Amino acid sequence: MRRFGLFILAAAAALGQQRNFVSCPIVRDTKTVPCFLAEYEGETYYLGIQQDITADFHPPQLKHEVLVEGRVKPGPRVCGGIPLQPVSISVLKEVNLACNTLLPPEPGIEAPPAPRGPGPSSRRPEGGPQAGSAPRQPLTGRQEFTVLYAFNDDYLEYAANQVVTEAAAYAKRIGASNVKVSGYRATSLLSNGDRLVEKAGLAEKRAQNIATVLRGLGVSRLVVESKSDAEPGDGQTDPSRRRVTIVVTP
Amino acid sequence: MRRLFVIVILIAGIVLTLSAQYQDRFKNTWIEPGSGVTLPEFDAFDSVDGTVGVLNASGPVSTEGNPFFTALGTNGRACVNCHQPTYGMSVSTSGLVERWRTTEGKDPVFAAFDGSNCPGLPQDQEKSHSLLLKRGLFRIPLSWPPKNADGSPKPVEFTIEVVRDPTGCNTSPQYGLKSADPTISVYRRPRPAANLKYVTSGGRPIVLKTGMLADLDPETGNPVGMNLMTDAREPSLKTQAVSAIMGHEQAHEAPSRQQIEKIVEFESQVYVAQQAHIFGGPLAVAGGPPALGVAALRDRKAGVLGDNDYDPVFGLFTAWKGNDYYRASVARGADIFMFRQFWLRDATHINSIGLGNPLKRTCATCHNAQMTGQDLSAGWVDVGTTNYPTWTDPSTESSELPVFKITCNRDADPHPYLGRVIYTTDPGRALISGRCVDVGSIVMQQLRGLSARAPYFANGSAKTLREVVDFYDRRFDMKLTDQEKEDLINFLGAL
Repeated sequence: MRRFGLFILAAAAALGQQRNFVSCPIVRDTKTVPCFLAEYEGETYYLGIQQDITADFHPPQLKHEVLVEGRVKPGPRVCGGIPLQPVSISVLKEVNLACNTLLPPEPGIEAPPAPRGPGPSSRRPEGGPQAGSAPRQPLTGRQEFTVLYAFNDDYLEYAANQVVTEAAAYAKRIGASNVKVSGYRATSLLSNGDRLVEKAGLAEKRAQNIATVLRGLGVSRLVVESKSDAEPGDGQTDPSRRRVTIVVTP
Repeated sequence: MRRLFVIVILIAGIVLTLSAQYQDRFKNTWIEPGSGVTLPEFDAFDSVDGTVGVLNASGPVSTEGNPFFTALGTNGRACVNCHQPTYGMSVSTSGLVERWRTTEGKDPVFAAFDGSNCPGLPQDQEKSHSLLLKRGLFRIPLSWPPKNADGSPKPVEFTIEVVRDPTGCNTSPQYGLKSADPTISVYRRPRPAANLKYVTSGGRPIVLKTGMLADLDPETGNPVGMNLMTDAREPSLKTQAVSAIMGHEQAHEAPSRQQIEKIVEFESQVYVAQQAHIFGGPLAVAGGPPALGVAALRDRKAGVLGDNDYDPVFGLFTAWKGNDYYRASVARGADIFMFRQFWLRDATHINSIGLGNPLKRTCATCHNAQMTGQDLSAGWVDVGTTNYPTWTDPSTESSELPVFKITCNRDADPHPYLGRVIYTTDPGRALISGRCVDVGSIVMQQLRGLSARAPYFANGSAKTLREVVDFYDRRFDMKLTDQEKEDLINFLGAL
């Protein structure tokens, strides 16, 4: 009973650090790359900086509201905002002209170090595995690959594109007997208690798109399925349920 | 008054002298189909402010019987009509106007099918060819809805209406959207048939901008770069050639395999670049910028990303950062192109693919392919050349071009910055993909041999390089000074 009570307390504390909300993004210019921020209940949150297409963080867009699902990271403010990390960013599709705030650089507000500045890249292409990095073990046996999506989106962004390519390469290498593609749509529980549900039909569309790409990459023996009902939201792990799974069986 | 006259004469004399230094003769040669001339390995032609060089890398080319120079259809046209060496393997409005005068409008380039505003117009009148003569635009009739390779209609995400039709073609009962064969006519510039190893490079299985499969070369089965045409509708040089012969040349029979191979063989060995500037002299000089001139295009590797500071899109211009006025200006222009930061905003397939809106970057972010300045990935982008509020054409009421109203279906993703109702003079890629998000997206063009082939942009809306630079300055609020504009113009003109 005591253990259960501690669990409830821990869960409440975790939820207390979670910020899930929809608002207009704010762009803060700096001496280097711009920071992307968003306001919720009178507080400013730092989401991330401008990076490259290959980065994990893809910034929001002016002219669109953004669904922010993130956890407060203890520590100092970044770029004038409370940092959220990890954070999931979903650009909502409909145009909202009210989302148009671009703030000028301000003394004392600096962006964190950026792997790439606003000019051309200075990084030279890597010549091979990084020194000291352990060689990756080749995959074997049954493998599950997960493609994640932004809310209400079926766009296969760069990282997802890599996952599908890897899954296809693996399936072809082992001559998979079965490749099961399963599409899902999900619910996002917001901090104010509202629930945002992804549109009907999206799970099937995601699954069919992935299947089309896999076929184009030379994968056969595909089984495609989708779950029409939206996955429930818990306010903490919702972005991980906007997905397609690819299960490759030898 | 007399002093002014003397000054004018003196300046004219200097210009003529300098001009003569770098041009063996005043040369502007229109090649007619079937003329049988032999093209030398290298030739240079007058361009706006110097000479454009044309290199046949495989040596002199006899045009006798070469299908690129032979009319294969029914209207007397050959590929060369719209891809003239003297105009950088494209064709300029100055060349077309001259040709109209010389032939009294009889040259096959003015064929009713697509060299006039609409085939039903009186063909002997200049005004019936106004878009070609004023903006260098050929009519591109496209089936609506678009079709799959097997002829079945593609699913589309929007409806399209004609709201202004100055050429009469889109509302024509014979040629228009409501004709027996529903067709949308858009008007576009011919792209240069040169430097094509760069233009066709970069095919990857999945298109970064869409997350979908790239088109495949029907012959090899390999994914293609999708940068060949304004709307990426043809996957390869061979399919483009067949389509052009059946369409632009109005052939009744498909060309033979040998003819197509011969055309592609010729196109694949032609390189075009600015060769000399009227004041700056020869551009491809020992110790100078490494990417200038045609030999560099022949020799360099295709498919290399140039959005970096160690081996930039058009190489380093360090050697020209001296006291020579023209060269220093070109070098500054190269620096602006590579390093001058500004806010890229509301550009579909740039801001909308995970880079954020706005994006603080430079010209080279998008024009990133070494040697040509195209996009190394499939490069269709809506920077605002065709969608209203357009940055290049007047209002919907006074446009010389047709204006279409696009209404996106409720279940489709809208255009990222214009929403669900869009007015456009050319839906671009969307006429092929059927996707709302693609409305107004146009494939980037290569930036070589520009001085020989004005006007610019797919819709011919910029008459000069100054207007190109002004467009970007306006569109992205770059706040360029007059000096910076001059530097960028000199840089672009040197390519």
